[in-house]
Amino acid sequence: MIGDTLLLRVDAATAIAPTLRHLRLVAADGGKLPPASAGAHVQLSLKAAARTHRNAYSLVSRPGARDAYEIIVRRVEASRGGSAFIHEQLAVGDTVEAAWPGNLFPPVRTARHQLMVAGGIGITPFLSYLAEFGLSGASHALHVCCRPDEREVFAPWLPEGANVDFHWDADGHRLDIPALLAAQQAGTHLYVCGPAAMNDAVIAAARDAGWPDSHVHCEHFGTALSGGEAFRAFLARSGIEVSVGEDESLLEAIERAGVAAPCLCRGGACGVCATPLLEGDAEHRDHFLSPTERESGRLIMPCVSRARSGRLVLDL
Amino acid sequence: MMISDIKSRPIYRDLAPEPTASGHLLVVEGETLTPALLAAFASAFGPVAPRLHIWLVGGPQDVGAHPGRLWRLGSLADVEDSLSCASRGFGIGDRLYVSGTEPFLWRVAEAAGHVGFASGQIQLHHAGSLRRRVWCTHCHSITDDVTTHIADCAGCGRHLLVRDHFSRRLGAFMGVMVDAEAPGQVPAREEVFA
Repeated sequence: MIGDTLLLRVDAATAIAPTLRHLRLVAADGGKLPPASAGAHVQLSLKAAARTHRNAYSLVSRPGARDAYEIIVRRVEASRGGSAFIHEQLAVGDTVEAAWPGNLFPPVRTARHQLMVAGGIGITPFLSYLAEFGLSGASHALHVCCRPDEREVFAPWLPEGANVDFHWDADGHRLDIPALLAAQQAGTHLYVCGPAAMNDAVIAAARDAGWPDSHVHCEHFGTALSGGEAFRAFLARSGIEVSVGEDESLLEAIERAGVAAPCLCRGGACGVCATPLLEGDAEHRDHFLSPTERESGRLIMPCVSRARSGRLVLDL
Repeated sequence: MMISDIKSRPIYRDLAPEPTASGHLLVVEGETLTPALLAAFASAFGPVAPRLHIWLVGGPQDVGAHPGRLWRLGSLADVEDSLSCASRGFGIGDRLYVSGTEPFLWRVAEAAGHVGFASGQIQLHHAGSLRRRVWCTHCHSITDDVTTHIADCAGCGRHLLVRDHFSRRLGAFMGVMVDAEAPGQVPAREEVFA
């Protein structure tokens, strides 16, 4: 694991919308927390009845803040249990274990203009961006695609003077992504965070408009990633065979068997959990491995990827 | 002299316009433009000709048939001025292509960087002389138009061995004193960067 474990206490929990819960987390011992930069996330260990969920949430607290971490969690319909646990069971005063904050989505500070596109709860990493840009004076624009009734929900996190436009699914209010991307000056960096279909659409539109890949950044989230058909995996070094259920990830099954596997983002983005694959046919769902690495069939990212069929043998 | 074991030595390739780019700007050092090179440009840039501007810096008065719109500029300084004046006009989807000697390529690339061009938006193609711009590791002066493997520093007068180590920031090769160990023992100069 990267970093030590933190013990946090729920200091406040507020329903800011029917499906959105805001949490303020402080150090359980009353001390200061490690600071985190704009775009950072914190991974919580949520001990539900059936099993422990390890979910990463973007910090919406001010970058550098050491008194508290703030997160906003959407209750997902097809929740694997993490968001349901936060919404239904976590109460003020409860303690939660967390990994040190990490950052896989920092803004590029040499950009001439920062262009952000958010889909729904994908706004959360950009709330910390806005706090930083408010202080640094960086030229920026945030476009949020959300339900019309959620426009006001994020107002407390928008600094005065922040350049934010809301878009929703109605005539005259939809975001014209190709038009937006065609009109950007040299030196602009693009960031997108939203549901997978929206991320893919924005990235494809940027390519079509001639954006260099170096200036396009994406943070993936979503819950459709980890479930699938049940399968079995053999951990060659440990000599353990694990069965992976329909609603759990390979990584979660490995952890359940008591084998410590390296991991960080648990969303197929960071590459920390990449594990040598000795046998079997993997269904790759990560955003990390290159097409060549996927084709070689020698690596798998157990946090999101599964077996296409049969059984996998891992060097673990 | 274009291939080296030194990793910082840049590698140049033929210009290959990216069809998805919105605008294409080709900056050419006129003195290096040959009929064969112009024909190669016409072929490579044909598909994007409607969105192509060529800035020809000095060089032949009579260019002949060429793709895109041609603009004439007097000197490198004009290129730098024009880039900075036109900065509002450059988009993130645009591409810059530069053809000429190495000192020319890197001065244009540096000016483009100042107006926001990313390295991924710029292609450099070497043409013409191999002459080098040399940076003295002792007095940090720049010596231009070096064609020999040993050159006198324009700043401190030391005899510099011109190495293949290259600085993209300075657009210059490293020059180190060749007779530091044995003062006065300077090997014969060879014209290797003509």
